[in-house]
Amino acid sequence: MPALLSALALAALLVLPVGVTAGDSDLVVSDAYVRLMPPGTPNSLAFMNISNRSGSDRRLLQAASPVARTVELHTHIDDHGVMRMRQVAAIDIPAGGRAELRSGGYHVMLIGLRQPLQEGERVPLTLRFDDGSTQKLEVPVRRPQPALEAGPPAAHGKH
Amino acid sequence: MRTNRFLIALIALLAAALLYLAAFWEPVPQRPVEKIVPHGQLPPGTAPAGGDFVLQGPQGSVALADYRGKVVLIYFGYTWCPDVCPTSLSLLAQAIADLDPAERERVQAIFISVDPERDTPTRLREYAPFFHPALIGLSGSREQIAAVATAYGSSYQKQPANAEGNYAVDHSSATYVVDPQGRLAGSLPHAASPAQIVAFVRQQLAAANTR
Repeated sequence: MPALLSALALAALLVLPVGVTAGDSDLVVSDAYVRLMPPGTPNSLAFMNISNRSGSDRRLLQAASPVARTVELHTHIDDHGVMRMRQVAAIDIPAGGRAELRSGGYHVMLIGLRQPLQEGERVPLTLRFDDGSTQKLEVPVRRPQPALEAGPPAAHGKH
Repeated sequence: MRTNRFLIALIALLAAALLYLAAFWEPVPQRPVEKIVPHGQLPPGTAPAGGDFVLQGPQGSVALADYRGKVVLIYFGYTWCPDVCPTSLSLLAQAIADLDPAERERVQAIFISVDPERDTPTRLREYAPFFHPALIGLSGSREQIAAVATAYGSSYQKQPANAEGNYAVDHSSATYVVDPQGRLAGSLPHAASPAQIVAFVRQQLAAANTR
């Protein structure tokens, strides 16, 4: 039994990043895009993945962009087939894991676009996290991607 | 003494009630989590009936009956919807693109707005072709939309407006499939893949061919 415990402790030491301090570089944003919406649509949203390479849980607290009057963090609740979109205070990014902002779940909602977005345009987006760090992104505008958006979230093992 | 007799009577009554319950009480089976299933699998009486309707399209009135002989795919949503509707409509558009041209001739896709206050026929004419040139958007009076949604088993609920007067509409996100005879054949759940949609459409076309 003590042997098993020490083996587990050793395994934990090997898995957990030791001595890494949380900073900007520990949170890595990938596959970010803003959705191109049909003409005349006043709202859009941004999807992305945020990986947390630190040993502590992180939270995305706020997003800001000059292209929209209001920017909020939202999620969807699938209530027996009825999709209920609701604002959330934060999006959790677990230590060593990632947050997936994808269709049917979390997204950065851009409310009241100041002007229509063009396909391929890059939208400035600033993310603020609970460790006080911020990241400034230039996020491309893309059409809805049917291949990426069908079905349940993909397995996390790819990255 | 009177209290004792009263207590004995009470105990006897409760014991009888307990025996009765033990003998006759059947627990109500726990309701399973609701899932969107093909309507054919639902018990009779609970299946939405579907059926004909007339709503306002880009060039005036559009009746479901106009599309007899075609498989009709119906999606209920609203044009301000940032995620769920564009996702569903782009999957639907991909499915239509994946059909071969002869099949495509026999399919019509319809977007019905559950937000008729903002989604006028003009707004829908601007919105729908973004996804596929063959997709048409329909609107109507609040009562007309409610009647069609109920007939097809779709539900929606307008949410409180924010300071700027903007509001979201919670809504079910199934795609309803009407066979070439105009009957509701079933529904596909939210985020059904183009392959699933194509398979269901082909099944309906094949069934119509053998009749």
